[in-house]
Amino acid sequence: MSTRFKSSRKFSATIAASAAAALVLAGCTTNGGGDGDDNGDDTTSGTVTIATTNAANSLNGATSDHNLNTNGMIDYITGNGWGSSGPGTFLNTRANADAEIESNRDETNGSFELVSEDPLTVEYTLNENAVWSDGTEMSVDDMLLTWVINSGWFAGEDADGEPASYFSLAGSTAGLDTTDFPEIDREARSLTITYDEPYVDWELVNMLGKPAHVFADQVDMTAEELTDFFTDAEPGYNEDETLEAIGSFFNNGYAITEMPSDEGLLVAAGPYVVSDFQANDGGYIEFSANPNWQGDAPGVDTLIISFIGDASTQIQQLANGEVDIIEPQADANTVQTLESNGAEIITGDQLSYDHVDLSFRGVFEDERIRQAFLHTIPRQAILDSIVTPTNPEAQILNSQMYVPSNGDDYVAATSENGYEMFDEPDIEAAQELLNGETPEVRILYAADNPNRVNAFRLIQQSAEEAGFVIVDEGDPEWSPRLGSEDYDAAIFGWISPGVGFASLPQIWQTGGGGNYNNYSNSDIDALVDESQTLIEDPERMLEIMTEIDTITREDGYGVPLFQSPGLVAHNGTVDGILYNPNQTGVIHNILEWSL
Amino acid sequence: MFAYITRRILVSILTIVAASFLMYTLTAVSGDPLEELRASNAINKEELIQRRIDLLNLDIPPVLRWFHWLGGVGGCLVPFAFECTLGNSVEGFSVAQLLPPAMASTVRLVTVATVLAIILGVAVGMITALRQNSAFDISITFLSFFLYSLPSFLIAVLLKEFGAIGFNNFIARGDPPQIGLFWVIAITLLSAIVWAMLLGGDARKRIITFVSAGVATAGALIYINVTDFFRVPHLGPVLLFLLIGLTVVGMTALTANLKNRRALLAAGIAGAVAYICYFALQGLFNVSSMWTLMILAVGAIAGSMLIGWIVSLFGPDKGQVIRAATFTGFFASSFVVLDRFMQAWPAYINHPRINGRPMATAQASTTGYTADIWGTGLDQLMHFLLPTISLTLISFAFYTRFARAGLLEVFNQDYIRTARAKGLSEHTIVMRHAFRNMLIPLTTIIAADVGTLLGGALITERVFAIAGMGRMFDVGLQKLDLNPIMGYFLVIAILAIAFNFIADLMYAVLDPRVRVK
Amino acid sequence: MAESTNLPVEEQVKSENQWTLILKRFVTNPLAMGSLVVFIGIWVFSVVMVGLGPISGIWELNHRTPYPQGAPNGAPTLEHPFGQDTIGQDYFAMTMRGIQNSYLVMLLIGGVGTVIGTVVGAVAGYFRGWIDALLMRITDVFIVIPALVIGAVVGRISGDMGIWILGTLLGAFLWMSIARLVRGEFLTLREREFVDAARVAGASDARIIFKHILPNAVGVVIVASSLLMAAAILTETGLSYLGYGIRPPEVSLGRLISDNQTAFANRPWLYWWPALFIVTPALAVNFVGDGLREAFDPRQKRFSRRRTREQS
Repeated sequence: MSTRFKSSRKFSATIAASAAAALVLAGCTTNGGGDGDDNGDDTTSGTVTIATTNAANSLNGATSDHNLNTNGMIDYITGNGWGSSGPGTFLNTRANADAEIESNRDETNGSFELVSEDPLTVEYTLNENAVWSDGTEMSVDDMLLTWVINSGWFAGEDADGEPASYFSLAGSTAGLDTTDFPEIDREARSLTITYDEPYVDWELVNMLGKPAHVFADQVDMTAEELTDFFTDAEPGYNEDETLEAIGSFFNNGYAITEMPSDEGLLVAAGPYVVSDFQANDGGYIEFSANPNWQGDAPGVDTLIISFIGDASTQIQQLANGEVDIIEPQADANTVQTLESNGAEIITGDQLSYDHVDLSFRGVFEDERIRQAFLHTIPRQAILDSIVTPTNPEAQILNSQMYVPSNGDDYVAATSENGYEMFDEPDIEAAQELLNGETPEVRILYAADNPNRVNAFRLIQQSAEEAGFVIVDEGDPEWSPRLGSEDYDAAIFGWISPGVGFASLPQIWQTGGGGNYNNYSNSDIDALVDESQTLIEDPERMLEIMTEIDTITREDGYGVPLFQSPGLVAHNGTVDGILYNPNQTGVIHNILEWSL
Repeated sequence: MFAYITRRILVSILTIVAASFLMYTLTAVSGDPLEELRASNAINKEELIQRRIDLLNLDIPPVLRWFHWLGGVGGCLVPFAFECTLGNSVEGFSVAQLLPPAMASTVRLVTVATVLAIILGVAVGMITALRQNSAFDISITFLSFFLYSLPSFLIAVLLKEFGAIGFNNFIARGDPPQIGLFWVIAITLLSAIVWAMLLGGDARKRIITFVSAGVATAGALIYINVTDFFRVPHLGPVLLFLLIGLTVVGMTALTANLKNRRALLAAGIAGAVAYICYFALQGLFNVSSMWTLMILAVGAIAGSMLIGWIVSLFGPDKGQVIRAATFTGFFASSFVVLDRFMQAWPAYINHPRINGRPMATAQASTTGYTADIWGTGLDQLMHFLLPTISLTLISFAFYTRFARAGLLEVFNQDYIRTARAKGLSEHTIVMRHAFRNMLIPLTTIIAADVGTLLGGALITERVFAIAGMGRMFDVGLQKLDLNPIMGYFLVIAILAIAFNFIADLMYAVLDPRVRVK
Repeated sequence: MAESTNLPVEEQVKSENQWTLILKRFVTNPLAMGSLVVFIGIWVFSVVMVGLGPISGIWELNHRTPYPQGAPNGAPTLEHPFGQDTIGQDYFAMTMRGIQNSYLVMLLIGGVGTVIGTVVGAVAGYFRGWIDALLMRITDVFIVIPALVIGAVVGRISGDMGIWILGTLLGAFLWMSIARLVRGEFLTLREREFVDAARVAGASDARIIFKHILPNAVGVVIVASSLLMAAAILTETGLSYLGYGIRPPEVSLGRLISDNQTAFANRPWLYWWPALFIVTPALAVNFVGDGLREAFDPRQKRFSRRRTREQS
């Protein structure tokens, strides 16, 4: 140690040196007031730690580059309605105690109401005390910014005639793209939008995301000036520099690889603000309570989400007390291990579901062959071998339109759509339909996904019994082949949106982007078109959905198989945990948690 | 010399360029980066696909895209002239921005593992060579063959299960945690046997070693059990005094000779000063930062060297005396620091985020834990201990075998025979003549080994969830995200080549016969 | 021609003596012989049990079929001696299948790597000059990328194309250490008299390389390739553990470990059996390699593990 110099204190030079060293040392110490016993009680009382699979990389999950579920979780609890509707925005999309997805209005900071159905007009109003986490009052500027970004008002074509937009959205501008420039009433803190066409999911449109004053800072304006700029600017894509700057801030400004030094990025409308961050798998993000939160104070002061990609590591971390809650990839090993570790487990279904689709191009052009093939699919056996070990209560999925998380609608649809007839394979019926023919069926699936491999094997076995000749088209690079003609049936997964109907045309309409089966039925096309224009008419919507479900079943479009199992495990530290099938995961009801 | 270095650098650059082509095209053809988007049912799927194609230039065939990538990297070599970019990840992050934080933990992990493996491996290897064909030699040979054949993921899984969860359960269970009688006996016997084999000698000497090592071990274990050492570890003035005393004797014996009075004196003074510092520095320790400790460490080494130098003025064997003092000073002050870490331990394990379970199974630090340098230091240690062990074991076996074979080879050389004939002591022969010459070929090995360890870090970082470069490569490869993979490649390729280069230079420095041309 | 046949015959006689000597030394080394027996024994055992390719073995249970759980928690029973995994597949059949796949990949890596490495090293060492420089630069290029990293990339390319292609491709990227060793050996051997004699006698380059020099370098090749094979087992299982090696539905021991590591605490046999059959063959190959080295070079003069490693 430096004071060893004392031992040779006869050398005056050494004394000088040690004095100098002491000075340097004094400059290099912390101001830790003595014992350095910094237990940090303020940051650790009421801390809950969650492990999640993907590492967050942006505080704005609404962009196409950062559309990750973990980013969505951040959006949810910090109140970025662009990415995920959570407390503090106009809407709160979460699950109830029956694991059914609900989209509730959240009036902490504002509310909206339907002014007229024709033309569809909606008024959004902010509360008087609505305030951002940095203390800035919320204003119409914030809502207008949201509208600008999500409406595609400034989208158009670039010089080459290619579609171009300043904002790279993960979602689409569908719905808001038919609205006119909103009417703004600054005094009343309200913004009114009028749709040119009816829009079925109007109630899911959120008008609060990130603060306009932070965006305005990027182009050296005030929020009000920004609003004026938007009002005066010509719509469409004109390579405007200011919009370019705002767009690039939206697209990449919130992307983070370390804790941002710019406080503006952290400004939140929700109950929590980001207080620490470390990127990549193995890193974490920490949230503290928003000091300016207008709703009820949350029961958990600090939330930490750790990024642990490996399920077994998550399980060990839970067993070792390093995390309190985990949501690992669910398989039977996981459940058993967790049970033997004494963890508390909640199982449920995810919104993603596997299904078999028949391509209407080759051998399945003939409806008789389609029906025969569907009769051979052993859906119960597939469920038993893949899902039941994880979730013993799992049931066959019997609708292409709804999932059980949709609650009563699912029950109503399944009682009429007739998918029950495919629960168990009916080899005799299939043989009868085939009438001695032995059609060749090429089945495409992801060869590196054990569940799909299992499903394929079971289907193969059963279909060959009926006389089909099955060709194994299993391929790890299966996805580019979707929609091509080199397969007849495909086993793969969709993710149900949970709420909303705007994605219907994608899969079911003739020529839809996700309609890989070349399926075309004018009745369905008409029903889908009608569904997109329904306003506040859930009964008719249920009728339409059930009808689409029934007709596509009769047409032999394919069959749904099962929902992927999901699970939450925790160590009992937190009370009030509810399973949530959607991507926000377990934090959906964090405001109801207590320690 | 200058021409040689220039040529080497040019050749290295060409090698990296060619290897990058290999890596780039191979990775590019290994899968479809658009897979997840193609299979999605997003409303604006086509748009999303198009945007990713634009972002990553996926419409250009891989070979041409490599030129594009190379152009960006090449810009980094010519400052100011061109734009320097390593490309973007799928998420739109610049790779140059992603690399540094990922590098930090990997470099730390690999460096510590390498250093530990070299020190332990060379030490154990030399002892086995000196006790050739003894029971100890044979056991270590078997052990090293076993470690050769043990994939690191097997060790890692065991370490997590027993080293972390098992240890934590042990700490949490008892009050105070007790080492069971069976284990006390087992550990005592094992330690007694190992020491007896290590020190060797005739039957009488072995028995003495066996008994004293056994008694010492049993005593230590009982002391640990009685004093609740696992939860309230401590050295304190008494234990510290004993330890420093042992260090003084041990270091003098190792670096010089116990009969060398001046060496013993110098080591003694260095030890005494360290002991005084233990009392003097506690106040400073409480407010220490990283830099304080660095300065203190430099001061400790410089101070010990000074003590050694002053004492050495009074007689011959200058080097030995200075070495004895320096090593003693270094280790003695390490014990003082160790004591301070132990003082911080109770507060650490009782922290609500640690909750009495100190050994971590994953990640590089406890999330949400803040403390002073001692607390965070312990936290780092608890997180890096197991991954470092699992990585060290890969190389340890190899360095052991290498050092053993090397020393045996050197012993067959004529100059060793000459030295023996001259009547030099065995100690001098081993430490002065053989050791240095054995190290010469070791330099070339380290370079090759670092590559192996960087590869091994792939598995270690996966198992222990450490956000390092290995994870970056791993995640990149799963998503087929080319630019981060290439960023990773660049770093490890440059590291590998740099290590080779340094090895060649060190070879030339250590071995006068080799002339760099 | 008359003279030219003379010399090789002499060489042949001498080398035959050498071979007997080497064989004798190897056979009398109990550790090496024991390891060889264990190494081959494990393979034979797995073949007898679950068959090879189309031939079926005496074990009737299939490694892909889920059976009803014979004991709670899939614990080992008489029917399923290694227990059952989550969906009830027979772990014994899976482990045996995994052993065969490990051996196959190991032999492919060893074979392909040895052939490429020997040819490259021999050509470089024999011709020297620019050919040598070029080949060694190419070797450098391959060496820059750590084996596990290039293996992961290669595994991702070929993992779904089947084990044969995976093993062959991996071998094509792991030949560098052998090439360097063989080159070093050739650089020395080509200066020896018998090479000059063969050249004077008008033998072609190819003949000199493969008929005259290579038999003298065969010790280096065999030892190095045994070490490559030991490393190959670890590379394959490591890659499969990471998910880049052998893919389902085929079985890999590394994959078994990674798939079941969550079950370690309550079903440890899912870990220990595959672990045993990864470590044992690797250990056996290492001992065999060491035995071979001692047999070829009892005084450890010419090539040692150390030099093998040094060259890589």
